Amino acid sequence: MTHDLELIQVGKTYPDGTVAVSDFDLKVEKGEFVAFLGPSGCGKSTTLRMIAGFEDITNGEILIKGRDVSRIPPEKRPTSMIFQNYALFPHMSVRQNIAFGLDIKGLPKSEKDQKVDRIIDMFDLTEFADRRADRLSGGQRQRIALARGLVVEPEILLLDEPLGALDANLRRIIQNELKLLQRELGITFIFVTHAQSEALGLSDRVVVMSNGLVEQISPPKELYRRPASPFVAQFIGSNTIIEGKPDGTTPEGLVCLSTPLGRIAGHGAPTSDMAIIPAEAFRIDDSAGPGALHFEGTLTGKTLVGSVGHLRVRLADDREIEVETHADTDAARALTPGTPVTLGVDPGAVTLIHS
Amino acid sequence: MNTGILKPTLAIYAAIFLLFLYGPLIILAILSFQSQGGGPQFPIQEWSTYWYRHLFGVTETSRVSQLPVGDALVRSLILAFMTTVVSTVLGTMSAEAFRTRFKGSGPVFYLIILGMMVPGVLVGLGMALLSNFAGIDRAWWGTAFVLHVVYTYPFAFLVMLAIFNRFDRSVEEASLSLGVSPAQTFRRVTFPILFPGVLSAMLFSFTLSYDEFSRTLFTVGRELTLPLAIYGTFSVEIYPNIFAFGVLTTLFSFTLLVVYGLLMKRFTSRRARFSGQEEAA
Repeated sequence: MTHDLELIQVGKTYPDGTVAVSDFDLKVEKGEFVAFLGPSGCGKSTTLRMIAGFEDITNGEILIKGRDVSRIPPEKRPTSMIFQNYALFPHMSVRQNIAFGLDIKGLPKSEKDQKVDRIIDMFDLTEFADRRADRLSGGQRQRIALARGLVVEPEILLLDEPLGALDANLRRIIQNELKLLQRELGITFIFVTHAQSEALGLSDRVVVMSNGLVEQISPPKELYRRPASPFVAQFIGSNTIIEGKPDGTTPEGLVCLSTPLGRIAGHGAPTSDMAIIPAEAFRIDDSAGPGALHFEGTLTGKTLVGSVGHLRVRLADDREIEVETHADTDAARALTPGTPVTLGVDPGAVTLIHS
Repeated sequence: MNTGILKPTLAIYAAIFLLFLYGPLIILAILSFQSQGGGPQFPIQEWSTYWYRHLFGVTETSRVSQLPVGDALVRSLILAFMTTVVSTVLGTMSAEAFRTRFKGSGPVFYLIILGMMVPGVLVGLGMALLSNFAGIDRAWWGTAFVLHVVYTYPFAFLVMLAIFNRFDRSVEEASLSLGVSPAQTFRRVTFPILFPGVLSAMLFSFTLSYDEFSRTLFTVGRELTLPLAIYGTFSVEIYPNIFAFGVLTTLFSFTLLVVYGLLMKRFTSRRARFSGQEEAA
């Protein structure tokens, strides 16, 4: 079957030899919401711009609906891009901005007006329709940009940090709108962000990038539970990373590592040499189930955020780790910094990877 | 410095500045209303518009011949117009080119700027020698025109460079991504946003070319431009008809400025009107 978007071994090397992106492989189904996540300079925006056609690629090919668009200029690709700074046309009214793409296509006036009216209504922009765009608030301008990008009915909507310039409150609102919108329209969204919460909260799948390379492509939950590389383990959530040597398997089929903190079992390949434990997998009571791993340590800090307690525990090898628990439990309430604690972990929550 | 002294000092400075800026013009304007018998100096013997009428040849013949500026004026206007068009187009195009650093962009930049830095008389003389050597006839529409472009193009270029620096490239990308061709994007998005800058570049080119003297002196050939024609009359004897002409051409310059102002306003007023709406809401 053909995918809405397919990147095959896509790479870009600048003339001076700097590699921006390499070996990018991705298949996106129709209607999927995919986020590119990574620190700044990791190549996520460059990849998005390559899909849009604003950057040429030096390796591989980009297919949209099975058609190779690698050498096609941006205006001929069935993509629409939303920019962080909105990029509205300052010399046009809101309505003119939104109608611009259809104007040029030479649609019959009645059909054009109908489409524009419908989308203006959909984005609640009716009362601003005849105003200049450059003096409206950030949220309104981002809505105009979305309406303008969607009215031309692209196959794929590309969003380059579209919420980056909004304040936290507005960001949450627009974020929700985006998600509803995407479900309603069934259009493929590719979304670039450096904010974990956006990527994990919005998308069906997340592509984590670092230094121009794809680190992992998974659904958000998977990214939390089963990081596939040391980078992802450090970048997503707060994980404890313990290095060790392969040390056989358990009867249940789990792989084991021998580490300075004892033998650790978990999910992973037999050649793994690194154990990753999510902060929320630790429990403070030592009455954990059979087969549970135990770590002895000393509590060094405690912060409560709502009903969640963030604890800092110093382990036997002097490292300090982050632990998340329900603060409502008696055990958590009784703890004061300086007291020794035993942490229990279910091996099922431990991921073993190869560094 | 004490702020109590600063304010009056600046006020006096500004007053003196304005006096030197407009003083000569005002003196000329007053003297242009001298009567037929009076010379180009104070006192005014009798207020009259004689020299204005003399300028247009509607007085009875007098001992003073009519100012030979009619043809020169037309030539200067045409030359300034040609220069404006070519310099602005060149300036806009090269500023656009400079938005991306290309190989050798540094030297090319200084090469362009050199056109307004080098002494005009030398360039003029050099051009005269060159055209002589190459067997090209000197003319206001040929050799002088080329030098006018060389001189005004850097100004247009610098103005456009500043405009492009503030211009947000993603607006163009947004247009392309909506399926609009690069040509249409330029016409419907880029140009309207850049137009105020283009207008300023045009104003610069026009005024610089219109009263260019030193570069034109050696390259103009037999048919003179306006500044040279006026200068030519000085060598005979000065009459107030030159003052009258000065007043008229200054009025013409002010008219240009007003047109410029109105066009600028037309392009920015929509935003102003809009912000007013928002305050009312």
